[in-house]
Amino acid sequence: MKALLKKGFNHLDSFFSVFFTPKWNPMYQLGALSFFYYWIVAITGVYLFIFFETSISGAYSSIERITHDQWYIGGVMRSFHRYASAAMGICVTLHLVREYAMDRYSGPRWFSWVTGIPLLWLLFASAIGGYWLVWDQLAQYIAILTAEWFDWLPIMVDPMASNFLNESTLSDRFFSLLVFLHIGIPLALLLGMFIHIKRVTGARTNPASGLAIGTLLAMLVVSLVWPALSQAPANLDVAVTEVGLDWVFLNPYPLINSWGPGQTWALLVGLSCILTLLPWLPSKRPEQTPVAVVDPDNCNGCGWCLADCPYEAVSMKDHDYKKDHKQSVVDPDLCVSCGICAGACPSSSPFRHVDELTTGISIPGFHIKELLSLTENKLKALDSVAPHIMLYGCDHGSTVDQLESGSVAAISMPCSALVPPAFIDYVLRRGLADGVIISGCCEGDCYYRLGNTWLDQRFSQERMPILRTRVPREKVRLSWLGVQGTAQLGTEIEEFQHYLHHAEEEEAYYG
Amino acid sequence: MADLRRYLGQALLYAAFFVPLVYITHLPTFTHLEEDMAVLKIAVRHAGKIIGECKPLSGAEYDKLPSNMKRPEICPRERSPLQLELLLDGESLYRATVSPSGLHNDGVSSMYQRFEVPAGAHHLQLLMNDDVASEGYTWQLERDVVLEPAQVMVASFKEGFRLQ
Ligand code: HEM
Ligand code: SF4
Ligand code: SF4
Repeated sequence: MKALLKKGFNHLDSFFSVFFTPKWNPMYQLGALSFFYYWIVAITGVYLFIFFETSISGAYSSIERITHDQWYIGGVMRSFHRYASAAMGICVTLHLVREYAMDRYSGPRWFSWVTGIPLLWLLFASAIGGYWLVWDQLAQYIAILTAEWFDWLPIMVDPMASNFLNESTLSDRFFSLLVFLHIGIPLALLLGMFIHIKRVTGARTNPASGLAIGTLLAMLVVSLVWPALSQAPANLDVAVTEVGLDWVFLNPYPLINSWGPGQTWALLVGLSCILTLLPWLPSKRPEQTPVAVVDPDNCNGCGWCLADCPYEAVSMKDHDYKKDHKQSVVDPDLCVSCGICAGACPSSSPFRHVDELTTGISIPGFHIKELLSLTENKLKALDSVAPHIMLYGCDHGSTVDQLESGSVAAISMPCSALVPPAFIDYVLRRGLADGVIISGCCEGDCYYRLGNTWLDQRFSQERMPILRTRVPREKVRLSWLGVQGTAQLGTEIEEFQHYLHHAEEEEAYYG
Repeated sequence: MADLRRYLGQALLYAAFFVPLVYITHLPTFTHLEEDMAVLKIAVRHAGKIIGECKPLSGAEYDKLPSNMKRPEICPRERSPLQLELLLDGESLYRATVSPSGLHNDGVSSMYQRFEVPAGAHHLQLLMNDDVASEGYTWQLERDVVLEPAQVMVASFKEGFRLQ
């Protein structure tokens, strides 16, 4: 099932990238989009609140005035408020399913996963509260069923539903409580959202500007063509017969209707518990390999590993024995064993005059000296006359092992950003290969979040450690094609070899 | 040209997201109550009679009390649960014992129930016993009613049953 979902997302990703480009691909920024929708809802909510009357008699009519008397702004604000909430509901759900399908929920990532679950409840509660405030037929339906639903819990002394018996039992006080909740719960949601991303380095909370603008434009169009409207006003003396439902957020209600409150509680609480425990339930997932280890002898305290760790697993402390020096430390509870830190460490240089390559920080599952010996041995074994290519790849992107040949040496590792830029320099200077390609996950969708972003920046000399200027850039390529792109990567390699071959001929001819 | 095609594709994808989204925020409708049905709600909030009587304290018991709490007799606080029954056309629709709230069962008993009943003429009977010491029902109300479709009729209690 998970494999099937993953396949589905992979196809969806490639499809969206065709039109949106990877940079704007909404699939890669569902969390950021959720944040974006939250802000839209918050801002439009403040506007609506200014004109909203907190009373039984005023609520409905004040919203009608906002919708019709100021259709050009109030009406649009209202539509944005409603549609952005629903869009957020969909994005959050997709985000959840995607993190699950892509195996980004277990290990140290449990924290983001588990803190995500209460956000679902808060989001639903916020939305339900919003529909309630309109005090139309839908609100009446929600009010009575919600009250009956909560009355099922043995915590209620007086049944909440007795507030909604008929028009005479309705009180403004209860309405004020609702308004208070409709402000308080979304604020709690925001707080929860920040806790949710606490352990994620530089979490992406803003979508690409192109995607943001497109979204706003699209929402403006739908808000003008199909503005959000109220249903008939509530009247507790007449029962609601047929009601238009928001199926994004109000889907528990038909369930309360047909199953009863107890079963609905059991289902929703049960589902939440299963979801919460998911990171620890037995399932086919990539195994957590041993976490990064610091070697104080080779650490100079530069802090580059700290800057690049995508999960805030690295911090600095006083050096074990060198006075006035710092050294890095790894928190094993946070480390996902990606190896990005090893690629960042200046000690990971094969040019160093040591018998056996050591470095400041490395993952035991794929030590930097292993990367060096594999690189040297594989390249020396190439026997074809075609230009020799060193192809580095990651276990989550294009399958580089499939592309190995007499002229292509391939090495796959947890994350391509494990390759220190000095390695590229080394391979080309020593004439071990004619060209180097680093491949991996799609741009903006690194399994370890930031690997390909860091490599791009290291190679364009915006981030330490940089790819040195002396390295001939035309002999190095970065190729972020993802799992789906293995065949295309093969074509790109051939094309690269072709290019290198011609360059060689030209050089021989012109000197 | 390629750019234009990309933006066109984006526009279509935005539409593919937002049009169904707008649709499902208000449709399809859900039928909560069938057309020829009405609603009957019963909500009672009432404190049952206190169980037992005050009894005078013996001299020794009186002496044991702290000086600020001395009083000649001790009174029970526990209240009787309510025996409630609602009959529609002679058939029991609801029948339950509603316990008093409070740690010592000394608070009010409150309950609420909603029923969907066919619209039309009905014979309603409401019965309640709020005193375990008495046999049978201490309160009752009988009424012939005609319910319009979707009408909400509320049975409540305040010094006697009421129908609204
Ligand atoms: C209000 C709702 C939510 C918002 C706004 C939100 C937002 C985000 C953001 C911005 C990130 C960081 C993404 C990045 O920069 O790589 C993230 C990560 C994550 N979210 Fe959510 N999220 C929400 C709900 C959920 C839910 C319901 C779940 C699942 C139960 C979930 C699971 C995760 C996981 C597992 C990660 C970590 C991914 C990784 O480390 O690669 N989130 N979320
Ligand atoms: S392997 Fe290094 S970069 Fe990756 S999570 Fe662990 S400490 Fe951070
Ligand atoms: S990058 Fe290497 S040298 Fe710098 S702090 Fe980290 S382990 Fe030490």
